[in-house]
Amino acid sequence: MTKGIPLKPCTIVYILLMLLTLFTWYAGVSEFSGLTISFIVLGLSLLKGHLIGDYYMGLKTVSGGWRWLIVGWLVLPGMLITIAFFISAG
Amino acid sequence: MINDTQNNLVIEKRKLPPGDFAIWIFIMAELLVFAILFATYAFTRAGDVELFNASQLSLNQNFALINTLTLITSSYFVVRAVAAMREDKAKNCFNWLIAAIFMGLIFLVVKSIEYNHHYSEGINMRTNQFFMFYFALTFFHFMHVVMGMVILGANAVKTRAGNYTSENHTGLETGASYWHMVDMVWLILFPLIYVMR
Repeated sequence: MTKGIPLKPCTIVYILLMLLTLFTWYAGVSEFSGLTISFIVLGLSLLKGHLIGDYYMGLKTVSGGWRWLIVGWLVLPGMLITIAFFISAG
Repeated sequence: MINDTQNNLVIEKRKLPPGDFAIWIFIMAELLVFAILFATYAFTRAGDVELFNASQLSLNQNFALINTLTLITSSYFVVRAVAAMREDKAKNCFNWLIAAIFMGLIFLVVKSIEYNHHYSEGINMRTNQFFMFYFALTFFHFMHVVMGMVILGANAVKTRAGNYTSENHTGLETGASYWHMVDMVWLILFPLIYVMR
C-alpha cells in the first residue's frame, strides 16, 4: 500500500504539461489573437493547474474537499479573466 | 482507497493533504492573493486593450517558454524526490532535490536576463500600466521562487542529515507542496501576461 500517487501517472502528466506548454508558446509566437484562442489557452492552463494539484500535490488521494479547493481557485480567476476579456472584446 | 490495477497498487486515501497542515493555509492565502492580482490585471486590461496588446508584443516568449518548461521540470524532480524518500532512498531524494533547486536557479537567471533586457531598453514599472503589472506580478512570483528554493534547500540539508524516513517526511512534503504551488501560479501567469490578447 502507498500513500502517494505512483510515479508512472506523474511522468505521463509531466510529458502532457510540457506538450501543452509548447502549444501555448506556439499560440504566443504566432501572435494569434482573439477570444477563441485566448480561452483555449486559458482553459489549457487551468487544466495544467488541475493536473499539478491532483498528481504533483497528491490531492487526488486526499478525501474531503481539499481537491476541490484547488479546483475552486483555478475556476475563480479563470471566470474573472473570462469576464474581463469578454468586456474588453465587447 | 483507490485501486490502481495497472500499477498493482492500492493507494490509501489521506484525510489531510501532504505536508504540514499550516502550509496549506499559507498556500490557499497565497493563491487568493494571486487570483486577485490576475483578475485586477484582466479588468485593467479591459480599459486599454490596445496598450496592453502592443506592450505584450515586446515581451520575449522564448524566455517565458524556457522558464515554464524549467519550472514544470523542477516540479517533476520534486515529485521524484518525495517518491524516492517513500522508498527510503535518501541519496536519490537528495539528488532530485538538488536538481530541482538547480532548475529553480535557471528560472531566476533567465528571468533576470529578461528584466535586464527590459531595463536596457528603458522599460520599467513606470513605462505604462501593462509593464507596471508585468513587473509587479512576475517579480512577486520571482520572490516566491527564491523562497521555494530556500525551503527545498532546507529539505535537502535535512535529507542529507538523515532526518527523513519513508514513514516520516512531512517536512519534505511541506516543501514539495509549496514548490508545486509556485509552479501552478506560473502556469496561469505565463498565458495571461505573455500570450492572451
